[in-house]
Amino acid sequence: MVERLSFYLERNSPLHRLNPTTKLVVAFTLILVAFLGRGLFLPSLIFLLILAPLSFLGQVGREFLRTTLNLLLPLFAFLFVMQSLFYPGGKTVLFGFWIFAVKLEGVRFAFLTATRVLVMVSSFLLLLLTTHPGVLLLDLTQRGLPASVAYILASTLQIIPQMQAKAATILDAQRSRGLDTSGSLGRRIRALLPLVGPLVFGSLVDVEERAIAIEARGFRSSRPKTSLVEIEDRPLERALRWLCLLAFILALGSHLWP
Amino acid sequence: MKLVDSIKKDFNTMTLVLIPVAIAINVVIGQIVVLLRLPVYLDSIGTVLVGAICGPWAGALTGTLSNIIWGLLIDPNAFPWFPVALFIGFVSGWCAHFGLFRTWWGVVITGFLVAITAALVSTPIAVYLYGGITASGSSFITAFLLQTGRDLVSAVLSTNFLVEPVDKIATALLAYAIIRGLSRRYLMRFPRAENVTPKKA
Repeated sequence: MVERLSFYLERNSPLHRLNPTTKLVVAFTLILVAFLGRGLFLPSLIFLLILAPLSFLGQVGREFLRTTLNLLLPLFAFLFVMQSLFYPGGKTVLFGFWIFAVKLEGVRFAFLTATRVLVMVSSFLLLLLTTHPGVLLLDLTQRGLPASVAYILASTLQIIPQMQAKAATILDAQRSRGLDTSGSLGRRIRALLPLVGPLVFGSLVDVEERAIAIEARGFRSSRPKTSLVEIEDRPLERALRWLCLLAFILALGSHLWP
Repeated sequence: MKLVDSIKKDFNTMTLVLIPVAIAINVVIGQIVVLLRLPVYLDSIGTVLVGAICGPWAGALTGTLSNIIWGLLIDPNAFPWFPVALFIGFVSGWCAHFGLFRTWWGVVITGFLVAITAALVSTPIAVYLYGGITASGSSFITAFLLQTGRDLVSAVLSTNFLVEPVDKIATALLAYAIIRGLSRRYLMRFPRAENVTPKKA
């Protein structure tokens, strides 16, 4: 089970000081450019020349590379084996063994897909490593994200660790009473209900009380709310976000160009 | 404006407080299932639950935010799949609206309809983003179908049609079991309680 609250690592770096929305916009732009742009090596260049250096600028380089590898290595291994063998329309056989044949088209396709997914996952990861989820939510709320959506996300981030702790307790308790969680498939299916039942009903009981508590504190008030924390947004970052829009339009153009 | 008003009615304070718990249920049960090494996901029980007792829009929001949270906490690979979760909540909400959450066989039908929707929505995502092969074990079926000469879209679609129903019917039945276990008084606090309680004569 996951023990940490999020990927966030506290550091004092220029990347951490950037406005969260700027980082979000940059992440989305890199992903869209990687998927829309042309060229076999475009996504891998985005990763090597933009994302990887940025992660070291943000002083999270090692964690960035390690987590990316952990998240994606199994997928990539699978992807390369499957696509190089089974890519439809593959003609150029690189080498063959037994009944299998590795085809060039498949390898190319696997490489492109893998590096695109790499850009997608790693740019989100870089955002999450350098941005506190609470600050990101606060900034988005101040830019017009409905307060109820922000409440749901923030509240979920707090509830999940509590519930994981509860689940661990229930798991220990049921195991000590002899619940088999590692036997045959039938036994493992039967183990599901004694674990899920207490967890779910226990958590649902709190809902009513919490609803009354937040209603009593003006949760439903439609007046604008003030905030204790000010989030910096420099003109330079606004320019950077416009630049991102431009990059997106260029990528889209190159994608649609015949 | 009738639609907007009816959507607003679905999002009362109880709904807004239930959604975080439902998302947490999705995540934690999803992890328990991984721990027990069961051949299903069961990571949308909370979404179906919210869809049934708070309406399709609340269900759709739960599904979407669920994937965002999964991406934030566990694996950013979850982000692009949010439309699937959105439709799971949305479809189960409509099924409950038309009375399919009053009987167990109605719930099985719901699970089946949710599975078909999930298969249809996830196919383009799997094809365009991952080239059809994702990290899940069901990709072996896709690869097999590709070998038999099928094109990519139909191979991924058939795989999803094979895999999804078991997972989604089990999900819907578990959500139903949870609703059955809750008291009438508790359920009445939610905007669509009439979906899951017997019709008044």
